[in-house]
Amino acid sequence: MTRYRYDDEDVIAIVGSGAGGGTLANELAQKGHKVVVLEAGRHHAPEEFVNDEWRSFKQLAWLDKRTTSGSFRVAKDFPNLPAWICKTVGGTTVHWAGCCPRFMEHEFKASTYYDGIEGVNALDWPITLADLEPYYDRAEQKLGLAGTNGIPQLPANNNYKVFANGAQRVGYRRFHTGHYASNPVPRDGRPATIQDGFAFQGAKNRSRWSTLYTEIPRALATGKLDLRPEAHVIRVETDEQGLATGVTYIDGDGLEQFQRARVVAVAGNAIETPRLLLNSATSRFPDGLANSSGQLGCNYMRHLTASVYATFERPVRMYRGETMAGHIEDEAPNDPSRGFVGGYYLQLLSLGVPFMAAFVDPGGWGPDFASVMEGYENMAGLWLVGEDMPQATNRVTLNHDELDQFGQPVPNVHFDEHPNDLAMREHAWTAGEALYESVGAVGTIRTPPYPATHNIGTARMSERPENGVVNRFGQAHDVPNLFVSDASQFTTGAAANPTLTIVALAIRQAEYMSEQLRSGTIPTAGHAVWDGRDPGGAAPGGDASELAEQPANR
Amino acid sequence: MPEQLSDHARETTLRVARAMYPHDALPDEAYEKVVRAIAAEAHGNDAVTETIEQGVAELDSPTPFARLDASARLQALRQAEGSPYFALVQATAVVELYDNPLVWKAFGYEGPSVHRGGYVDRGFDDLDWLPDPPIALDEDAAPRGSGAPR
Repeated sequence: MTRYRYDDEDVIAIVGSGAGGGTLANELAQKGHKVVVLEAGRHHAPEEFVNDEWRSFKQLAWLDKRTTSGSFRVAKDFPNLPAWICKTVGGTTVHWAGCCPRFMEHEFKASTYYDGIEGVNALDWPITLADLEPYYDRAEQKLGLAGTNGIPQLPANNNYKVFANGAQRVGYRRFHTGHYASNPVPRDGRPATIQDGFAFQGAKNRSRWSTLYTEIPRALATGKLDLRPEAHVIRVETDEQGLATGVTYIDGDGLEQFQRARVVAVAGNAIETPRLLLNSATSRFPDGLANSSGQLGCNYMRHLTASVYATFERPVRMYRGETMAGHIEDEAPNDPSRGFVGGYYLQLLSLGVPFMAAFVDPGGWGPDFASVMEGYENMAGLWLVGEDMPQATNRVTLNHDELDQFGQPVPNVHFDEHPNDLAMREHAWTAGEALYESVGAVGTIRTPPYPATHNIGTARMSERPENGVVNRFGQAHDVPNLFVSDASQFTTGAAANPTLTIVALAIRQAEYMSEQLRSGTIPTAGHAVWDGRDPGGAAPGGDASELAEQPANR
Repeated sequence: MPEQLSDHARETTLRVARAMYPHDALPDEAYEKVVRAIAAEAHGNDAVTETIEQGVAELDSPTPFARLDASARLQALRQAEGSPYFALVQATAVVELYDNPLVWKAFGYEGPSVHRGGYVDRGFDDLDWLPDPPIALDEDAAPRGSGAPR
């Protein structure tokens, strides 16, 4: 196993090992760069995963204390669990389901399409769909998406049969079993899905893509990756020039360590990423690192998230098969005549009995609740995922009144829903109910948003430094050797599940970072002028005299 | 202060859990799991024990909870909603009751499946009361956005 010295000044330190961090690590390692990945969670082998919702939750979920405020219902139902994400090697790619729509063209242009709506802090992305398309192609290939690259669609499972028949009867015209990151047939050294029905608990047979058993072992095989589980980064350190020098973390033995780095990339998910940068404030960066715009932690988005469950006279057994392998696109376009801007997808969803009880109506009890649970076998379910509006006041801040196990302030997540979010959810719930009623539902249930699986926007990309935290490559406007590599960098959230876009951006970022390091364009602490050494230890390259302005601003 | 729950508190809490989540088909054994979890939380914790004993005493007044019929029990619980005891029993019951293979079986949920090869050969697509739908449909001639099947 590769192990770099703490004072090795050539390494790229990546915080987090999920879709962003894990992909970035492999892409950089394949290009010969020295990479240290610091992952707060443990390293579990897929064999350790459990087909049991609560036991798995305790094994994989990020359960470090967080607090909430604002009017969203999660603050009441799950006050210390605003997000349902993972703390383990592989990050949230361990428990994701696999839905991978691309963004649509207009979703990169919120300021153009959604401007003038009160309370919306809209901004166009500094990139377009065309910029990202080549990287979407590569990401889809990497993830092995069903329905792309000549890979067949997944078959229809029981829950999909209800969903798709309903879609046809209400007149939807574009639906399928998903561009979905679980193998319909063996591919890329991983087997086909066995339709086990456990997605959010990790794929024990590795049929669903996760960095845990794709990107990370491949990066390790290059000999360039030093993977450090149970390494909880508490600060990004900077020098008097304002460049990142490395990261301070608490290791598995509870000891504080400092890893020097020439570049730091943060991919801790959209709550931990701004928390870390806010916690890295210095006299030079009093409002948090890379926060001259004041946008760090702001514009937190969590997607529409709502569900509809329906009961039928006959069995569905929705829990059999790929959990979210169904996708309807008809409601996704931006059609303001519906009373809101942006759009949403309807996607398949199933929960087991334990999580159905926890999420179907948080706080619910009584005979009606019991009757819903007794209908479980005859139940079908769908999820509603749509774009929520960026609002400056929805934000992640440090809560200095509550400290975590390392004595660091916990993150507080403040969220109020925008009227556009509420109008979209009402429309989506109604659409989901109509779909199920068209195939004979005897009852339908509107399930409210639960802890967010999609966390977005807290270190957003912007063309100009005053509007956002990072540039079009995820590079901090204020600190050129600091990058953000997760969905925090999304300027807006779009309707699509974020993982595919996180992966596409990470591939693109790795390409950029590698080029800039080789040409010496990224200034590095202690090297005011790039010294020409290859970061991977190979032949010298680059030209010290070319230290120039930030390429993104050319 | 008592260190352990009284038998009366345990018995009443079992009735409360059953009234909150009434499933006639389930044996008391399923609800005993809820009581065990609550008792474990109370064990050695005077504050929690006191919350429970006090909550039980309030439900027993004026008529002992055990002597109320089903609708009166519901009425009593509605009045208790918001109390610390109610919150404790509700939050514990909704997890403990439904996190139990005995209950899963009663509701037609088969639980862990990997060790049996998943459902790929065991009925993941056996629903037969609706026609088999297309696994991909794109009826729009002009593609909109980029989400259309490629």
